[in-house]
Amino acid sequence: MTTDAYFEAWRGGVVDTMIGIPATAADRKRDHYDKFASQILDKEAREQFTFPAQYMLKDVPDFDSIEDPVALLVAEMDRFHVQWGLLNVGSNPVARQAVTDHPDRFVGGCSIDPNSGMDGVRHLERAYHEHGARSAQVFPAGLVPQVNIDDKKMYPLYAKCVELDIPVFVNVGVPGPRVPMACQDVARVDEVCWFFPELKLVMRHGGEPWVDLAVKLMLKWPNLYYSTSAFAPKHYPREIIDYANTRGADKIIYAGYYPMGLSLDRIFSEMPDVAFRDHVWPKFLRENAMRVLGIGT
Amino acid sequence: MAITKGTNEAFAAALAGGVIDTAVGVPKSREEMFAFYEFIRRGTHDPESKAGSGGLEFPAGYMFKEAPKWEADDMTDPVDMLCAELDAVGIRHAIVNVDDDSAARAVRLYPDRFSAQINVDPNEGMEAVRRIVRFNDEFELKAVGAFPAGLTPQVPLNDKKFYPIYAKCVELGIPFCSTVGIPGPRIPFGVQDVALIDEICWFFPELTFVMRHGAEPWADLAVKLMLKWPNLYYSTTAFAPKYYPREIIDYANTRGADKIIWSGYFPAGLSYQRIFSELPDVPFRDHVWPKFLRENAERVFNLGI
Repeated sequence: MTTDAYFEAWRGGVVDTMIGIPATAADRKRDHYDKFASQILDKEAREQFTFPAQYMLKDVPDFDSIEDPVALLVAEMDRFHVQWGLLNVGSNPVARQAVTDHPDRFVGGCSIDPNSGMDGVRHLERAYHEHGARSAQVFPAGLVPQVNIDDKKMYPLYAKCVELDIPVFVNVGVPGPRVPMACQDVARVDEVCWFFPELKLVMRHGGEPWVDLAVKLMLKWPNLYYSTSAFAPKHYPREIIDYANTRGADKIIYAGYYPMGLSLDRIFSEMPDVAFRDHVWPKFLRENAMRVLGIGT
Repeated sequence: MAITKGTNEAFAAALAGGVIDTAVGVPKSREEMFAFYEFIRRGTHDPESKAGSGGLEFPAGYMFKEAPKWEADDMTDPVDMLCAELDAVGIRHAIVNVDDDSAARAVRLYPDRFSAQINVDPNEGMEAVRRIVRFNDEFELKAVGAFPAGLTPQVPLNDKKFYPIYAKCVELGIPFCSTVGIPGPRIPFGVQDVALIDEICWFFPELTFVMRHGAEPWADLAVKLMLKWPNLYYSTTAFAPKYYPREIIDYANTRGADKIIWSGYFPAGLSYQRIFSELPDVPFRDHVWPKFLRENAERVFNLGI
């Protein structure tokens, strides 16, 4: 591999399939982490963490106050050649406005809670029709109660994704927050891919420590993908890099974790050192995401 | 076809107002019915069921000794035959399964007389969901049905495979009807346990769920669940009136007058002659009869007639 191939692909524009509206730590805690705070039982996390995975992610972007969070985000994206960002428009009005105002920079994802039954299905449909959502997303371990990836409560949502022809992004592997992991076991993905062969399912947040199984399942299921959200490039699992370099060049999709846990500065300073082969870079940084999300079609 | 017993005045008045049967089949010859039941026979293991002709021609035939039968030579136009049967007993509207071509023809020919349902197989995944949409576009479905014990493989009513189907029924406002309780054919019953319905009614509160085929021996649980869940109903399919469970009659006479829906089992297992000769003896209170024979079906299945 050469770093030239990386820089050429990078300057050609990146799709970041996990990016967020900058917010103060307090706002982020209130809008996201407090939703499952009741499930965190250990004292340190309860009392000392504002971000429930901060024991792993030490340099979380921090903002005192933000005048125009969308302008700040766009400027940050511009600095790092991020042409498109996937924003959660499930409930955040600022994210919805960003997708509406910048249709050439953002694509919407809709976070879903299968515990809400048909209301969740209707919420997804509304987000699709009214807020530019072109994907669904779910964090099974962060739900109250938690919902297994292969649980029946998920099935009407998967069915709706098939009907709308949009992918679903699912957190897999041991979750960062100190809540139980079992609902996100990568093994659960197998049955979902079997029953919904048309469903495009994109794994999020690493899949560790079942990365070898994730690769095996991507080989088995044509519509199963992996995105690198929440992982700094120097921690990308070895199996994922190997798979991208061999049979999986079309399966591995870049995602960051800005501003939730990683800065784009860190991500793109480490990125050139990832051992992808030349032909992988444009697919990884842009093309696979555009295809799966239907960007530019 | 004469109705031999007509002593109950409230029954007679309700009958005169016109009856709705929410699950009717179009007559077929014995040979056709035998071929149709292959999907059940292949799931049986006992020699009597497996033997087919010479054994149980109809897999639940050990219970239904006088099911209507027509030799191929006796068949005329099946839709005409059905209309004559319905006319003879005062059934003015019937829901038929348009998976069957004759039934589809009946709905097209006489849309005032017939409404459409299809049966679904959740083993088909999204294809089953799309079938509902497709048939609804063509026929304006009034019911989606399932026979969980008769599927290959069997699918429990509360299984995840059913959930996209329930969701689609909610979206389209179509009642879901399932056989519940011990199935007649000699195949395992677990998938049709009435207890499985509780979770479905919890997760899909807008789903109209109609129990079919008796719910025995859990009729008491069926009543308890109907009390609990506003959109859960019971229809009397496949039961001759003299066998209506005591709990169901009591419930219809008390808090459940709006919940119990008449249906026969023609022609699969019961003749209308038998049903209508036994009906007057069912000890329903006077106000129950019009609801049972017509009004509940009209409302629950949105028949708009």
